[in-house]
Amino acid sequence: MDRRAAARRAAFYVAIVASWQAAASAGALPDGLLPSPWEVAEDIARGAADSSLIVGVATTLWRLMAGLAIAIGAGVALGVAMARVRAVNETVGSLVLGLQSIPSIAWVPVALIWFGVSDAGIVFVTAVGAVFAVTTSIYSSVRNIPPHYLEAARNMGARGGQLVTRVLLPAAFPHMISGFKQGWAFAWRGVVGAEMLFSFLGLGFLLNVGRHTVDISQVVAVLVVIMAMGMAVDAALFRRIEDRVRERWGLR
Amino acid sequence: MAKLEARGITKSFRGGGGYTLRALGGIDLSVEAGEFVCLVGPSGCGKSTFLRIVAGLDAPDSGEVVFDGRAVEGTGPERIMVFQEGALFPWLSVGDNVSFGLRVNGVPAAERAEISARYLEMMQLGQFARYHPHQLSTGMRQRVAIARALAMDPDVLLMDEPFAALDTQTRYTLIGDMQEIWQRTKKTILFVTHNVAESAALASRVVVFGNRPSRIRTEFRVDSPRPRHAEDGSLASIQSEILAALRPEVKRQEGLDG
Repeated sequence: MDRRAAARRAAFYVAIVASWQAAASAGALPDGLLPSPWEVAEDIARGAADSSLIVGVATTLWRLMAGLAIAIGAGVALGVAMARVRAVNETVGSLVLGLQSIPSIAWVPVALIWFGVSDAGIVFVTAVGAVFAVTTSIYSSVRNIPPHYLEAARNMGARGGQLVTRVLLPAAFPHMISGFKQGWAFAWRGVVGAEMLFSFLGLGFLLNVGRHTVDISQVVAVLVVIMAMGMAVDAALFRRIEDRVRERWGLR
Repeated sequence: MAKLEARGITKSFRGGGGYTLRALGGIDLSVEAGEFVCLVGPSGCGKSTFLRIVAGLDAPDSGEVVFDGRAVEGTGPERIMVFQEGALFPWLSVGDNVSFGLRVNGVPAAERAEISARYLEMMQLGQFARYHPHQLSTGMRQRVAIARALAMDPDVLLMDEPFAALDTQTRYTLIGDMQEIWQRTKKTILFVTHNVAESAALASRVVVFGNRPSRIRTEFRVDSPRPRHAEDGSLASIQSEILAALRPEVKRQEGLDG
């Protein structure tokens, strides 16, 4: 991102926070329904000081990463198999489409019956909520590989596992990144949703605490933290990988 | 014994609405070891389809491809294809592209590096091994594709309009280089082109395909001394003979298509 774009973006956020604070200072915000940014900041600082927020972030993050790792691993395997083996696509493919329409929250009862109130249950909801989105995205990125790459590789003797690891995955990789991003977004939905329903740790739990104590500034604080983490990971991880790959592949 | 033989190759494609396109109507072709054969024909006549069948990338409806007296099915390292757009792997460096085939066939790293360097050198790309394909011009990329094919040390090189996307100047240079490579490596080459001047400059034999369903219409030997240039005056008469053989085919197709 160039400097002007960064400056424009920073100005945008400053303007939002400033007008929000101005409205709060003028007493225009309905009491108890919308906190001022200052109150939110205080809440975040308090949560950091007594480490409840830090524990929450760390807990949610590891559940999220564990679930996402499973979702990406299974999604890549499933998506590649669907794209390459017609019988798999005709059978598993239709099932994946059906499963994808189940919201991750709907897996919570299953998780509770299978895993009880545990981290494993939350990771399960996170993974299952993300895996089918990753699968369909990987499937289409493999299907869009220029056929000449695969033909040339086959012609030179690449078969089976080598064809997959040396050609298929790298050829599909630039498009697969958007599948990972989608997995990341779906994993967030799953992990926070599951934590709200059955956890005594994590950001979803903190949201629930805020709700039960009718503490709107804590609720907004957690939402702001989730949003910031999403943006930070996009900038620090996905955007960086994407830029790197595009440069190497010559896709600019 | 012929190095490569195609016997009675036919191929149809199913188009939309149950309409079947008969591309190849029985191709018989015998190629001796060390021949440079150019296949020319009107566009859409199925010459590329034929080449893909010889490579084993597509299966014929009937007929067979015979290599060194054995019928072959599927692709094999003795028949390596050079694609029109090169089909280089953008995620690999030029050097790794050239040694890709060696790598998947388990050739040790040191030997790979040596072979890849040798063929890049032959294609005058010695100092570009660490570049990525997108950093090279179209002509250079096509040289890499040729080096990659040669690194497999195939008996037969199958080239599908490899110079079609190049500007005239680059194409003329590559026509010169290709003759040199052929003479140096003594490869058997099957080269598809729609460019008559190119075929006359390159080939020891030019095979003319007819319209769909395509058969071989006629062929010409080209015995002019090498190196030849696409615009050599001495090639003018053979060029006009090839053109004359093509003309009724092109006309017929225009009539059909129009």
